[in-house]
Amino acid sequence: GVAVLPAPQNLTVLSINMKHLLMWNAVAQLRETVLYSVEYQGEYESLYMSHIWIPSSQCSPTKGLECDITDDITATVPYNFRVRAMLGSQTSAWSTLERPFNRNSTVLIPPRMEVTEHGLHLVIKLEDLGPQFEFPVVYWSQEPGAKEHVKVVKSGDSPVHLETMEPGAVYCVKAQALVKAIGRHSAFSQTQCVEMQGEALPLA
Amino acid sequence: EFRFGPCRVEGVVLSELWEAFSAMKSTVQTQDDITSVRLLKSQVLHNVSDAESCYLVHSLLKFYLNTVFKNYPSKVAKFKISKSFSTLANNFFVIVSKLHPSKDKDMLSISESAHRRFLLFCKAFKQMDTEAALVKAFGEVDILLTWMQNFYHL
Amino acid sequence: TLTEDAFGLLRYVKFHSSNFENILMWDSGPASTPDMVYNVLYKRYGETEWLAKAGCQRTKQKSCNLTMETGNFTEFYYANVSVVSSGIQITSKRSERFNSLQHTTIKPPAVTCIPQVRSIQMLIHPTFTPVLSEDGHQLTLEEIFQDLFYRLELHVNHTYLMHLEGKQREYEFLGLTPDTQFLGYITILAPMWSKESAPYVCQVKTLPDRTWT
Repeated sequence: GVAVLPAPQNLTVLSINMKHLLMWNAVAQLRETVLYSVEYQGEYESLYMSHIWIPSSQCSPTKGLECDITDDITATVPYNFRVRAMLGSQTSAWSTLERPFNRNSTVLIPPRMEVTEHGLHLVIKLEDLGPQFEFPVVYWSQEPGAKEHVKVVKSGDSPVHLETMEPGAVYCVKAQALVKAIGRHSAFSQTQCVEMQGEALPLA
Repeated sequence: EFRFGPCRVEGVVLSELWEAFSAMKSTVQTQDDITSVRLLKSQVLHNVSDAESCYLVHSLLKFYLNTVFKNYPSKVAKFKISKSFSTLANNFFVIVSKLHPSKDKDMLSISESAHRRFLLFCKAFKQMDTEAALVKAFGEVDILLTWMQNFYHL
Repeated sequence: TLTEDAFGLLRYVKFHSSNFENILMWDSGPASTPDMVYNVLYKRYGETEWLAKAGCQRTKQKSCNLTMETGNFTEFYYANVSVVSSGIQITSKRSERFNSLQHTTIKPPAVTCIPQVRSIQMLIHPTFTPVLSEDGHQLTLEEIFQDLFYRLELHVNHTYLMHLEGKQREYEFLGLTPDTQFLGYITILAPMWSKESAPYVCQVKTLPDRTWT
């Protein structure tokens, strides 16, 4: 009989800081390039119109064994995904993600952070994680009894001045990543401290 | 988050809904040639009290999910608006699943007032040819979002 | 009904709105002739009757100011442009459904940047719109957009930026170096409507520090 193209196996989703990656095992075909097609449906489609599947915006088709499904997921509901293999005119059966994926299960890790001083200015540069993120930043002086200050930095694309500081003092900073769409935040980053210049004239 | 009176809904980003509808607004509204009929009239949406809002938004969104969106897939494929449609439908689904309008007896007059508004909308919908009414209701999602925005807090 | 413009006479009938000034614009098509004039009608979505816009009847202009006619920003409107030649209407075209709250863009704010020795003050002036309140006064953008706020960024020699934001109109960047050039960017944001103005940019130099001379 005609050899049937096997369906891709072991579909999984790896999601870190709201970047969602669907992955699957290769369909082995000697010296031939297999393409894969990815489709999805949200909870609404699965309940109200289960026959409706939407082609993924990035991977319909793709040669790779993974697909960035971040742009396809635009609601905090469970999403079903399915993948099939294609070789010439042959098409495999669909293989469906075992458990639907919900973006509120993404792993949130603290942002990379760089703290510098410019004259008397305490400046922070945060990792740019995309528009869904805000960054609560906590900073404090190491003077005894010093209070913690909190500032929410809206985006990570450029270094931001946190505060104008006292000469010679040491200031410490830590930050976390916050995603309002899923109502969760990461742990705090490691604390970074920096010493302000002494009495020298501040540089711009 | 949305605050429809006592009803709170988190986890929905309103700008994502606007972005989704804006991507299909021109396509969808151009299908509606009946400019002399408006389903979501001002009598339905104007001066809705906080207490009424939870009942009204629950009824309206359920209608959109069960009737408007459910009967729209043929057009969705035709107009290639599947992604935007899915965003709207799934976020409306999140809102409805998190809304729990109170069933207390002392809220009866308020829920009835909201119901009368909803019936105004239904009556206008039923007075039209079904196909034309579906197209018009879908095209009025921006009117619905504009009203819902009054109850959204960043 | 929407008459198809089969003769290439009329194109792009569209509202252009900024700070709630709503201008209907269109373009003639390749088949237009010099004698052609335009009539503009408008109406509120949901109403039957089209109204003629005085001042935009038999006009040769390709724009028409409908600010007052479409000023109620809780309402939705349509406009219709028809082409008339030798007194006969040849074709017409309808605009998309328009709502100024949804469609208006926000212009950059008017700002006065005042340098001091170790600081720069920024005074943001209110932006009045053509929209009238019930008691007849012109509404400002702040009165229309409840969530409106200002974002100020001071770029410090291409290395980092200082950032202030808020709803008030007076700000001061402190702790600056005297006699130094800075670049300020001031934008208006109305996040609920995902609206953000282009920035007002001011280039300013702090004053020299003469205390030791």
